[in-house]
Amino acid sequence: MGAKKNDILQGTLALLVLKTLASHGQMHGYAITEHIQHVSARLLRVEEGSLYPALHRMEQAGWVRAEWGTTGKNREARFYSLTAKGRKQLLQEQESWARLTEGVERVIRYA
Amino acid sequence: MAWYHRLRNVLTGDRIQRDIDRELSFHVAERADELEAGGMSGDEALRSARRQFGNFTRQMERTRDMDVAGWLDAVVRNFRQAARTLKKTPAFTITVVLTLALGIGANSAVFSAIYAVLLRALPFPDGDQLMQLHQSSRGSPETLVAPVRLEEWNRMNSTFQAITGYYSQDDSELSGELPEKLKRAFVAPRFLHVWWISPAVGRDFSPEEEHFGGPNAILISDRFWRRRFGADPSILGKRLRLGASAFAIVGVMPASFLFAGRDVDLWSPSPMDAPYAQSRAATWFTTIGRLKPGVTVAQGRANLATVQANLARQYPKTDAGLTVDIRPLKEATVGGVRRSLWIVFGSVSLLLLIACTNIAALLLSRAAQRQHEISVRLSLGASRASVAAQLLTEAFVLALAGALLGLIVAAGASAAFHALAANLPRIEEIGLDWRIVLYSLACAVAATLLCGLFPAIRGTRRNLSGFMAQASRTQVSARNPIHLLLVGVQVALAVTLLAGAGFLLRSFQALGRVEPGFDPSHVLTFQISSTWAEAGGQGSKQRTDRLLDSLRSIAGVEGAATSMAPPGVPTQYQTELNVTEGRAETDPKIIAESRYVSPGYFATMRIPLLAGEPCREELNSRSAVVNRSFANAYLAGSAAIGRHLQQPSRPNVPAGEIRGIVGDARESGIDHLPGPVVYWCSGASQPGTFFLARTRGEPMTLAETVRRKIREIEPRRSVFDVSALEDHISNAFAENRLRTFLLALFAITAVTLACVGLYGTLTYLVNVRRREVGLRLALGALRGQIVTHFLLQGLGVSFLGCCAGVGLAAVFAPLLSGMLYGVSPSDTTTLASVVVIVLAVAAIASLFPSVRAARLEPMQVLRDE
Repeated sequence: MGAKKNDILQGTLALLVLKTLASHGQMHGYAITEHIQHVSARLLRVEEGSLYPALHRMEQAGWVRAEWGTTGKNREARFYSLTAKGRKQLLQEQESWARLTEGVERVIRYA
Repeated sequence: MAWYHRLRNVLTGDRIQRDIDRELSFHVAERADELEAGGMSGDEALRSARRQFGNFTRQMERTRDMDVAGWLDAVVRNFRQAARTLKKTPAFTITVVLTLALGIGANSAVFSAIYAVLLRALPFPDGDQLMQLHQSSRGSPETLVAPVRLEEWNRMNSTFQAITGYYSQDDSELSGELPEKLKRAFVAPRFLHVWWISPAVGRDFSPEEEHFGGPNAILISDRFWRRRFGADPSILGKRLRLGASAFAIVGVMPASFLFAGRDVDLWSPSPMDAPYAQSRAATWFTTIGRLKPGVTVAQGRANLATVQANLARQYPKTDAGLTVDIRPLKEATVGGVRRSLWIVFGSVSLLLLIACTNIAALLLSRAAQRQHEISVRLSLGASRASVAAQLLTEAFVLALAGALLGLIVAAGASAAFHALAANLPRIEEIGLDWRIVLYSLACAVAATLLCGLFPAIRGTRRNLSGFMAQASRTQVSARNPIHLLLVGVQVALAVTLLAGAGFLLRSFQALGRVEPGFDPSHVLTFQISSTWAEAGGQGSKQRTDRLLDSLRSIAGVEGAATSMAPPGVPTQYQTELNVTEGRAETDPKIIAESRYVSPGYFATMRIPLLAGEPCREELNSRSAVVNRSFANAYLAGSAAIGRHLQQPSRPNVPAGEIRGIVGDARESGIDHLPGPVVYWCSGASQPGTFFLARTRGEPMTLAETVRRKIREIEPRRSVFDVSALEDHISNAFAENRLRTFLLALFAITAVTLACVGLYGTLTYLVNVRRREVGLRLALGALRGQIVTHFLLQGLGVSFLGCCAGVGLAAVFAPLLSGMLYGVSPSDTTTLASVVVIVLAVAAIASLFPSVRAARLEPMQVLRDE
């Protein structure tokens, strides 16, 4: 499985999910995928299946909370929402992302 | 918290799986819907959605991995699989679980006794500070302590918080319809203070009650309170009638308080200022003291020695030769059974070891049978550790089931302890509690490692390429020395146990063959309640005479007498004596066992009179009879009869004249060679005196008649402890009997296990070597040769096991010394019989698989290949 172009960078998925949930409240996995792709203007592509291990890991870490609910089309889905701990985590991840991009930017510019 | 969730998720694994499936399926369905809305056909949309999703199963597994703790998951899976595998072979599983249940159960039961009796502190606050104090004079045995001296020790020492003492007697309580025999302890001041125990109801004695002439007060036992008063909470102030006086109940002791003996019902103060308590030569109290915190036993001992040395200067006449020793009360209480208990524990542990070895061999064969499965798993990428863990888990499941069942065995066995060893000190403290459960679990873990580790390592060792290359059925087995080694170990341990049991059994037999020098059969013994206050003097003598006369008048009674102790039951009352005439100062000191008997004693016990005349009681003089050992040891070469004996420790008691010489009798325990004995002719009874009646028929059939007869002449006294003398003697050896019985039981089990192990292993080896045997038979080997081959293999390993076992027995035998009578712990006859028995049983166990091997049909075997 070679990394494809635009595959989401290891470790940034959590940031994207946290940010999405922070702005939109409760969402199920499919909606999160759609949202990320939509907002990123399809520049970023989530390998759809790999979202779920990430979501469950975040749930075990206590960043998100999940509960079963029904969608508009009357399907059962698992809805995720951010916890206080998740909110804190989001700030941290945003910060480290900013540092990372700034660092990469500088290298590109001055190296 | 996350950890907890993941743990829970391991246990509810199936539901998690379903939920994840549902969640992921929802995603695919939504995607498919969207694609379909975008114009795809239904099928195509679904396919495309799946593709976009990636590998569904893999994503499910990854998601699940996030939810559960990985190692825990593996453990649970191992357990589930172990349970499944074991369920497939119920016979094997049940055998192993039962074996372990017996092994671990017996072990836990004995451990519960060891723990309660030997390891735990006495059930008093800071029980380790409690000491028993002893006095002894010039090499003669310990004597009880005089009240005056007890008070002086208590006052003059600097290392004890307090010193107190007690003695007991059997009393008749007369406030009920019939006199009831109660055991009453007389206690010195500070009694409860030393134990740090307060009455469960009521109060301790007040100072006035501890003074001579003060109010009569009594504490009662919890048992008596419940039995007699139905645990009436308003018991305080009620009265009991003991002899001529009434006693007010001031309190009830806690049920756990069993001092001065487990059968004590009453405690009352023994006034230290009573006029009759002032003699320094009195021997009254068993003495107990509590050390100050931080004081060692040695410091306490040294301090008391100094105190006693001061007293010796002050009272040279009575105290000069006295020495004091102290030992921890726990030691004094349980020291006597320590070795027995550890020996039983050792044997039961050996038994468990044999069981584990046996099971290890079974598991090893099982792993060999599953070689194919194991190889497949290894070749599919399972790590060796994970396969070994799987095998170990199986062993652990077996051991755990065994331990849990074993707890039931242990619970039953503690009841058996209560039934078989009622005299064991602290037996009421034996019971199952969490420590025993913990111990059983520890046993299970140990058993797992013992049984399982080796097969797990070995079973996963073969490299699979080699194994897969040769199909199992064409494999001719390599020799399996390891299986035989395990059998040899079992045989060796079984021989060790059997040898130990053999020594004890032979010693028991030897005891049964002893000629005791008196006739213990057809003798009824009992006691009649009396008090120390009425002991001695003419009244007591007349009362005893009257009782003996009325006993003799009963039809079926041939003779009656009294003695201070039932003959044949271990007792010791050694005293120092002087012969008033005819012995030089330089002659060795005379130390002899003293027994007080009534005149009819020798006739009743059928101890032959060798010279002189039997006991006679006279008004103004004391007379004595000595046994042959005494005459030979101390008065050899001169006429013994007519000499006078004096007890230097009791200078006020007149010397007694030797009237006769009787035969030696093993009265101080039938396992003791008779030593010098002096019988003082004194029928006056005191608390503890035994009445002996020789009967024509079964002694116990007369018990009721005797009771009624005594009731006629002594309505205010109770008759108790009625039993046949032979029962008394055999009870005295109850601990010996229990030990022998248990060891024999363990040894038989051990031999059975070892032989079952031998049988199983040979059967296995025969199976493995079917093809080889078939070939040999086809090539013309005689069936007899095949039988001999396997038989010799079985016998050979058993013989080596026997040799090792005899060696082990020689190492352990010294532990038994002192417990054996009439057999030495290196007795070759015993060892040889043990070896012969084990080899005979081993031969039988080997014969069946050997014959089966020889019966193989070569054509059949080769066709099966």
